[in-house]
Amino acid sequence: MIERKVRTPILLLCLLPGVGYLLALFGLPLVRVVYGSFTGSSLEEPGLGLATWQALFANPVYMDGLWFSLWLGIAPTLVSLLISLPLSALMQANESSRRLFGTLYKIPLVVPGIVAGFLVLIVLDRGGMASRLATPLGLSVPRLVRDDLGLGAIIASTWKTVPFMTLIIAGAMAAISKDVLAAARTLGASQVIILWRIQLPLAQAGITAAILLSFIGSLGSYVIPSLLGPAYPLPLSVHMFAEGFQKGNWPMVYAMGTLLSVMAVAVLLAYYTIIGSLGRSKPGAS
Amino acid sequence: MHPSLSIRRLAKQFGANRVLKGIDLEIPPGRLVVLLGPSGCGKTTLLRTIAGISDPSAGGIWLGDRRIDDVPPEKRNFGLVFQTYALFPHLTVARNVSFGLEMRRVGKAEMARRVAAALDLVGLGDYAGRLPRQLSGGQQQRVALARAIVIEPDVLLFDEPLSNLDAKLRDSLREDLRALQQKLGITSVYVTHDQSEAMALGDEIVVMKDGEIIERGAPIELYRRPTYRFTAEFLGMTNVVEAEIAAGACKLPWGDTRPLENPGATDVEGVAIRPEDLAIEAVTTGEHGTIEQSMFMGAATHYWVRAAGRTFRSIASGGGSAILPKGQKVRLVAPARLHLLRRHAAGSGTSA
Repeated sequence: MIERKVRTPILLLCLLPGVGYLLALFGLPLVRVVYGSFTGSSLEEPGLGLATWQALFANPVYMDGLWFSLWLGIAPTLVSLLISLPLSALMQANESSRRLFGTLYKIPLVVPGIVAGFLVLIVLDRGGMASRLATPLGLSVPRLVRDDLGLGAIIASTWKTVPFMTLIIAGAMAAISKDVLAAARTLGASQVIILWRIQLPLAQAGITAAILLSFIGSLGSYVIPSLLGPAYPLPLSVHMFAEGFQKGNWPMVYAMGTLLSVMAVAVLLAYYTIIGSLGRSKPGAS
Repeated sequence: MHPSLSIRRLAKQFGANRVLKGIDLEIPPGRLVVLLGPSGCGKTTLLRTIAGISDPSAGGIWLGDRRIDDVPPEKRNFGLVFQTYALFPHLTVARNVSFGLEMRRVGKAEMARRVAAALDLVGLGDYAGRLPRQLSGGQQQRVALARAIVIEPDVLLFDEPLSNLDAKLRDSLREDLRALQQKLGITSVYVTHDQSEAMALGDEIVVMKDGEIIERGAPIELYRRPTYRFTAEFLGMTNVVEAEIAAGACKLPWGDTRPLENPGATDVEGVAIRPEDLAIEAVTTGEHGTIEQSMFMGAATHYWVRAAGRTFRSIASGGGSAILPKGQKVRLVAPARLHLLRRHAAGSGTSA
């Protein structure tokens, strides 16, 4: 009994560096943000209430911003996934493709987001490089920068996201035994079937991690939508900056941050539900 | 009737490294041929080239009269069993076994029947719903075997399938594997570096070294009458004795003379005497040598005898009721006829 009494505090002390770090740097600020969203219009106002949340949901500008944030989080993630999956599979095919794609895809890794934004601006803006190249050929480049759908922001985010996603997914695919892939081939599976039936399910943990990182990064992105996004709607990240630094309405910043986090969790739960149901729909799959 | 497999002038090169140097091999229908050799001899590369996983640099492969070396592996209808089992970890045993049938678009009822039959054949009928990680190594390899045979392959290929298993399981699965291959009559190629496995399983053994076939033959032929020293030493323990040869007879280092089985052999490197063929007799005088060391192994006793300036190995079967002590004076008794070993030069291996 005495031993247990002594052991529990020792174990807690041992856990403190890890758990304490998480609590101090992530848990407490998160609690503070959520708490702050229920305070009055400024932190000096005492008491808790729903006034900030009511103001947030009542304002169509913010609601449009929320949906636009989700769009800017989901669209580049899906496009990046469509590029990264076959790219990662190609890199497993043989040594020469691994060397070629392995070098090419890493280039954007070293380019900061704001530089990527300016690159897209220089190339795709009206009067940009693409436009100047297309005009003599009698072609016109559609509006891709500051357009209503945020295509320029999606392109820039995708350009930045693809290398990270490929790095993770290719790593997960490289961990699959070569014998397993060879076994599938000798049993009659084509490369496409191997990708779909073997590589994707076995690399699912890596793919999920890549989707998570890409989605969260794009959802909260501030620089790229500011530079390349439309004048309206603005994503919540841009509204948060304006509310905090221009209007000093920090409870609204906290409410928007909390809402974005809740929406991120909701989207990821939906993703896990879809993946889970796909797994269950295949008889015998784990 | 399963077709024969012919390999002609097959070469494989990685940069300047010649892994296979023009292999010629004919495997008759229904036979199990074992590729035996040390690590790096090219046996696994040869097997993977037959499977289509690796492309040959030169030469060709024929299945019956159909050339197949340009046919992708998924179209060859070969079953391949790996050392690592290579099961699909996210699929159940039944789904692993049905994978090849799904690729061949076999109907559901037929598929269920064949999967059940294949699993029954390997004794895993009750394990259909389990995942590979819920099975032992031996069970996983049985699933891999069921997965390979359920597609009714033209050729079965085994890449050291028993190497990852413990000794007891290896023996039991080896017997099952041989019985199954004989029952199904599928032309098979089996890669191993284990000589006892090769002799137990193979209708024929093909001995490989440095990307070449050294020689091939029935297990007993290769064991009893190997052409080369490499084969004699790789297929179990042997005493290679440098002896004086004259007039069809051989004078052994301890003075005895014996007639030769193959007196016409050229490039002679020595005489092979298997330890179990070299008897010892305890004497008090007129000895050839003395016992240097002995080891009781249960079914047999191994002796190391120092004679004529070197050590010879002898195995007394049955273990004996009394083990001769270290330092015991003994006479060595060689078999009635001796077998000459030829020196092997690169490129002089058999084409079979």
